Amino acid sequence: MSWRGSRGVGIELPRAQIGMSRWRRFRAAVDWPLVAMVIIIASLGLLNLYSAVHGTRHAGKFDQQLKWMFVGALAFVATTAIDYRSLLRVAWIGFAIAVVALVIVDVAGSNAKGSERWISIGTLGGQPSELAKLAVILVLARLVSESSGTPHWPTLAPKIFLLCVPVVLIAIQPDLGTASLMTFVMLSVGFLALRDLWPMVYTLFGMVLAVPILWESMHRYQKDRVLAFLDPTADSTGSGWHTLQSIFAVGSGKLLGKGFMSGTQNQFDFLPEHWTDFPFSVWAEEWGFVGAVVMLALFSLLIVWLLNIALRARDAAGAVVCLGVAAMTFWHVVVNVAMVLGMAPVVGVTLPFISYGGSSLLTFFIGMGLCASVSLRRHGY
Amino acid sequence: MLMENPSSGGVALPTLGRRLRWVMLAMLIAFGGLVVRLWQLQVMRGDRYRERTVSNVVHQRFLPSIRGRILDRNGVALADNRAAFNLYATPKAFTPWLRGKLKRLIGLSDDELAKIDARVATAKKRKVRDPILLLEDISRDRAARVDQERYLIPELEVRNEPYRHYPQGALAAHLVGYMTQMTPDEASDLGNQGYQSDELIGRYGLETVWENYLRGKKGKELYAVDARGRRLDEATTADLISGDRVVEPVAGYSVVLTLDADLQRIAERAVAPFPAAAVVVVELNTGRVLAQVSKPAFDPNIMTGHLTTAEAKFLNDDPRKPFIDKVLRVPYPPGSTFKFVTTIAALEDGQGREDEPILCKGNYQVAGDRDPFDCTAAHGKLELIGAIQHSCNVYFWSLAERVGLDRIAEVANQYGFGTRTGLGLNGDAPGRVPTRAWYEQRGRFMIGYTINGATGQGDVEVTVMQLAMAYAALANGGTVFVPQVVDRVVRADGATVIQYQPQVKNRVDTPPEILDVWKRGTYKVVNEAGGTAFGYATSDVIPIAGKTGTAQVAAKKPKKEQRQIRGWSPSGDHAWFAGVAPAENPEVAIVVLIEHGGPGGKVAGPVAKSILEGWATKVRAHPAVPAGPLVDGPIFGRLRQLGATWQLGANAGPATANPAGDEPADAPAAPAAEPEHEP
Repeated sequence: MSWRGSRGVGIELPRAQIGMSRWRRFRAAVDWPLVAMVIIIASLGLLNLYSAVHGTRHAGKFDQQLKWMFVGALAFVATTAIDYRSLLRVAWIGFAIAVVALVIVDVAGSNAKGSERWISIGTLGGQPSELAKLAVILVLARLVSESSGTPHWPTLAPKIFLLCVPVVLIAIQPDLGTASLMTFVMLSVGFLALRDLWPMVYTLFGMVLAVPILWESMHRYQKDRVLAFLDPTADSTGSGWHTLQSIFAVGSGKLLGKGFMSGTQNQFDFLPEHWTDFPFSVWAEEWGFVGAVVMLALFSLLIVWLLNIALRARDAAGAVVCLGVAAMTFWHVVVNVAMVLGMAPVVGVTLPFISYGGSSLLTFFIGMGLCASVSLRRHGY
Repeated sequence: MLMENPSSGGVALPTLGRRLRWVMLAMLIAFGGLVVRLWQLQVMRGDRYRERTVSNVVHQRFLPSIRGRILDRNGVALADNRAAFNLYATPKAFTPWLRGKLKRLIGLSDDELAKIDARVATAKKRKVRDPILLLEDISRDRAARVDQERYLIPELEVRNEPYRHYPQGALAAHLVGYMTQMTPDEASDLGNQGYQSDELIGRYGLETVWENYLRGKKGKELYAVDARGRRLDEATTADLISGDRVVEPVAGYSVVLTLDADLQRIAERAVAPFPAAAVVVVELNTGRVLAQVSKPAFDPNIMTGHLTTAEAKFLNDDPRKPFIDKVLRVPYPPGSTFKFVTTIAALEDGQGREDEPILCKGNYQVAGDRDPFDCTAAHGKLELIGAIQHSCNVYFWSLAERVGLDRIAEVANQYGFGTRTGLGLNGDAPGRVPTRAWYEQRGRFMIGYTINGATGQGDVEVTVMQLAMAYAALANGGTVFVPQVVDRVVRADGATVIQYQPQVKNRVDTPPEILDVWKRGTYKVVNEAGGTAFGYATSDVIPIAGKTGTAQVAAKKPKKEQRQIRGWSPSGDHAWFAGVAPAENPEVAIVVLIEHGGPGGKVAGPVAKSILEGWATKVRAHPAVPAGPLVDGPIFGRLRQLGATWQLGANAGPATANPAGDEPADAPAAPAAEPEHEP
């Protein structure tokens, strides 16, 4: 059964025992483990942010984040309530909006740290590239469900080409981190959703060949970052500084950490901007190996749960939505933590629910809401 | 809540189900890899990184020790410490913005800016997060201005620290010396001896030679900073610092001199009218130096950190060379003061007698030489005593011709000429006593050299200090002492650490009757009509005996670029007076040299007289304060707390230490340091 046949907006509840109230049936259908995990991880994020910014001139960031958490929670509830199939229907429209926003950023976006990722709407700053990921996931879901059975390549190819447009737009901002992350998500979904794997293998092969061209077109500071990643000690006060100080911070946490709000690397500013890209370093310094592993475990549990929802989804489109959100979460966590641990170059990839920043929070809250929506509507009646 | 999907009876996306184990494997590899890396960083290398983050934060700062003082024999401070405001910043924080801000804030001169830039550039090569001294001893106004802005410009720090201060100004400047910042070379050499690159070290005189006693031991303080080098308060960083947070500094030893500040001042005033001069007064039975003047001098307070390039150029361009110690460093022809050597050589050898008359017709013809040597006057027939009194060259030339140059050199060497005095200060020069062999090495020996040598001319060169020690020996029975300027070294609490005893350089066994001849002769020089210093050094206050000297200088053209000094020509004769007082039972020996001053008796005689009269009336009466608990002025207690408890504004004005005023009632009374007025 495809999303086309559904009735549209409205919560469909499981047909349980007769006489149960609507509210109790809703409660029974909501994916509480998912909600619980999101709440736990977001709380840890708030706790960590408090430690990172308290007593500094960035202390206001905590309140800001709290506001975004509230907005994000509302968005989660809303997306849970809305039938994901209605959203899939407007997926291309959302995608178009995202592309337009990206074009605006590319042309006239405000400059943050030398690259244009921010779009200012009133006093709010937003990163369209974050929300574009969701649009891409929804479009992917639609494409997969449309082409169930034998894919009709002549109609599919232009659409796949269209999917690459936001990736290119993000890459020329330039935000290679998000661009490659989006690519990873698309590849992951492709590998897991396509019946025939060969087109994916060809694509991957082609991309490997494209790496040298990509390197040549990279900005100087991007190359520096990659080189600094390869040898952080070579320029320990310049490009390698972040990585080295981050490694020191993580390592100095030892087994049990220095304790909440006692991380010297964090508290005394050795990691610039640690609340956006390096919150895991703060966490690992203050809570040690044990805390770091607990956080990674929470994330892997979340991802496994999203995959579980995908497995039990009522239709292929819902499954792909969950798969996409799971892949997005997975790659965000892996790339961000690897970067913090000096295993990946420094790129602007956030840690879900932990990093400071409204766009990232909102993206993940909405993403989880989509999964909750899929989970809620898994009963095929 | 895991319910079966009732409608499709299976998975909505069959490929996912099939590939699930690959997904799990990928996740296991990815997260497993991260956990392994975490284990490596946090558990295996955790200790190393913990240390590293502590060293990121915890820094060490030295607490200045209080440098020992330099005191005269009565405890008058010649070199002391006072509180000063020093300006610090970390090189990392010293951005062009901060530089401009600082310049506007306290109005830096170009000189000061250049100095600051040089220091920052040097320090940038070392640790950029450690604060360095930007500018030392800034005025109170400037310190207050910086302090007012401390919340807006937290990068700048004003510390209240002890600073070297010379309360007597230029008094005995060459002896006391001064301090300057280290050169980069010194900084790297001395770095392992506990010096910091922005420290001052002794640069001249006793400040250099006694550096290791004076400097004391620095304390240190551990403190924490954030990534921008800003200091964090102690409460937040208490558990980062293990061990002692503060190691207290140990004050340096003070050095007590044999010098008498009063006599020194008297001597400096006596030579005040002359552009260039040197004076030494010694206790002739011990070799202890009571006064030692080299003029022109410099103000050590300016030299110590406040010398501008313009001032440095002015001093360096002075043809009189203010930085050269004329007492020790420069050998001069001694002129007629050297005649005692000829006298002793002749009398010892039996080549002359006290009552032998020699006729002086105004010149002296040496066999084989064409031109006769001119005497100062036609003295007629003179015996030895009369020849000394009138300083008759002809008499001594004929004696010299009998004994020969080598014999004269032998006696001169016995009395300490030709070798260093042994004071080991300011480039103590050996001077020169030529011999026959010395001339032959350089060409041909001629009898004229003997003639010149007999009267301290030609190639004979002695330092003022050497001459003083020789005249002391003539009066004390033949003991040539090593001059002594340091009496003892005392700890901050006043206890004596080292007491120095007089040291004999050479004991000459000149028969007493020969020394007596010289004594009677020099008495007549000063006290009988016809004597070369009669009327000049003749005193009603204290009988003086001595010998004058007028040393001719090879005519030199003054260099054009050099500054002209009024009353000072580089080709004028040197005026000498060397003598002892009181004449009957001499206690002190004095040598006065007025550089290019003219005739010895007329120019140097009155100077010696006024110094010795000052000694007799003002200095001789009060003996030096004996060793033992001395002069622990409250300055030590005060300065110990510097940097820790002294707040800006709490101490108004630089504390010019006046030990005489602060002395506890039961301590030996130190003499007042007020200037004495010459009669």
